[in-house]
Amino acid sequence: MNADFKAWFAALPAIPGMLACGVRQPNGKCLGYGDDKVYPAGKIEKLLKQFGELHEPLAAAELAPRWTTWAFEYGHIRFVPRADKWLLLLIVSPETEAARALDRVANDFLPPTK
Amino acid sequence: MAKAKKQEHERRVLILDDEPDYLATVCDCFRALSEGRWQIDTAASAAQAVERLKTEVIELVVTDINMPGQDGVQFIGELHRRHPQLKKVIMTAQASAEKRDASLAAGADLFLEKPVSAEGIKSIFEKLSELLDWKNTQGFQGVLRSVGLPDLIQMECVGQNSSILELFNEQPLGRIYIDQGQIIHAVCGEIFGERAFQKLFTITGGTFELLDFEVPPEHTINRTWEVLLAEALRQREQLAQRAQVSGKNLAADSTAAEPVGQTAEMLICSAAGEVLYNWQCADAAARVTLLQAVAQRAEKLIPELQLGKLDRVEIQLPVGRAVLQPRADRLVFMRVATPPKP
Repeated sequence: MNADFKAWFAALPAIPGMLACGVRQPNGKCLGYGDDKVYPAGKIEKLLKQFGELHEPLAAAELAPRWTTWAFEYGHIRFVPRADKWLLLLIVSPETEAARALDRVANDFLPPTK
Repeated sequence: MAKAKKQEHERRVLILDDEPDYLATVCDCFRALSEGRWQIDTAASAAQAVERLKTEVIELVVTDINMPGQDGVQFIGELHRRHPQLKKVIMTAQASAEKRDASLAAGADLFLEKPVSAEGIKSIFEKLSELLDWKNTQGFQGVLRSVGLPDLIQMECVGQNSSILELFNEQPLGRIYIDQGQIIHAVCGEIFGERAFQKLFTITGGTFELLDFEVPPEHTINRTWEVLLAEALRQREQLAQRAQVSGKNLAADSTAAEPVGQTAEMLICSAAGEVLYNWQCADAAARVTLLQAVAQRAEKLIPELQLGKLDRVEIQLPVGRAVLQPRADRLVFMRVATPPKP
């Protein structure tokens, strides 16, 4: 995780409406920010793993996603897997700046398409 | 400059609060800040506001939470159902995360803390002005926030409500009749039944309102609301794609007869896996297995996420996208392919 990536990731919680965010490296190490009570680091790490598992049947059904958005009543979760095994998880409040920034953040995370 | 120009026409605002002194102060300040462009009505309770809304054309409602009788959040919820196009704001002196979440879930467009200074009032005024200036550019105005025309129909049908959904632009476009959760009739100009329902879905640039139910002159629709909605969404998606390819505004092309076919699939199955509707899904059994697997795994996550019920999963694919909607009694899946580049 280079300094530029760390700086980019560390800026995410400042987006209004961002409830939590986490990233998982190919070596399994995770970094997460979120409310300590609702989304402590251990929970974010677990969610990264669980959403990774949720993507498995999609990929097996030839629906390998660039990302998925899980729209719940009180929050949206964006999960972005990269081909190099990096994973990004964002939890945002609906109708907030963070919700509107989801595509931008996901595209920033993904390598540029040719 | 642009903002000043936008605000030239008079704005109709309704403010609810049971503290008369506060109400008078805020109204005076907003009138002054708007330089007379805001015509402000007031109400001391939800009941009074409802009466105002029956006779006045209001664009924005700002309400306190703690009021006698119906509280502000309940009132916003009712407004959101009855007047989805209306802009709604909660302004409270006792802001909390719980109240904010409840307000936004009920349909408020903004949740604001009551101002305690002149600077605060000015800041609130600017936020409300922004909201008044904000307009949807696609679809019906009810798309404001997360509730669009399909969402509203789903809410009415799932809730087994009875109502009439009236769609209009400068003049009425048509009506959809929902009786105890089933779509029983639709009319759009001279067209009736399913064709009218589908056509109303393809029209953009209008608004919609929920009216009290009345028995329609006839019953012209028999298929389930899930199937009707699925087909309407598919057709609308295809029209939008075609418009994108041809660079046309969909609104200008709303009378088009049949959409040009695009690669897509749609599947609705019961919770038990029985296929209820299949459109162009080559391997329905495999899709059902997938939907059930994803829905079951997601269900296990719900308690610990503390984000309420799962409404849908949107899957962004390298080419196109898909949507999965898990419901208590059924699963809905739709995949739309990106149209080929011209």
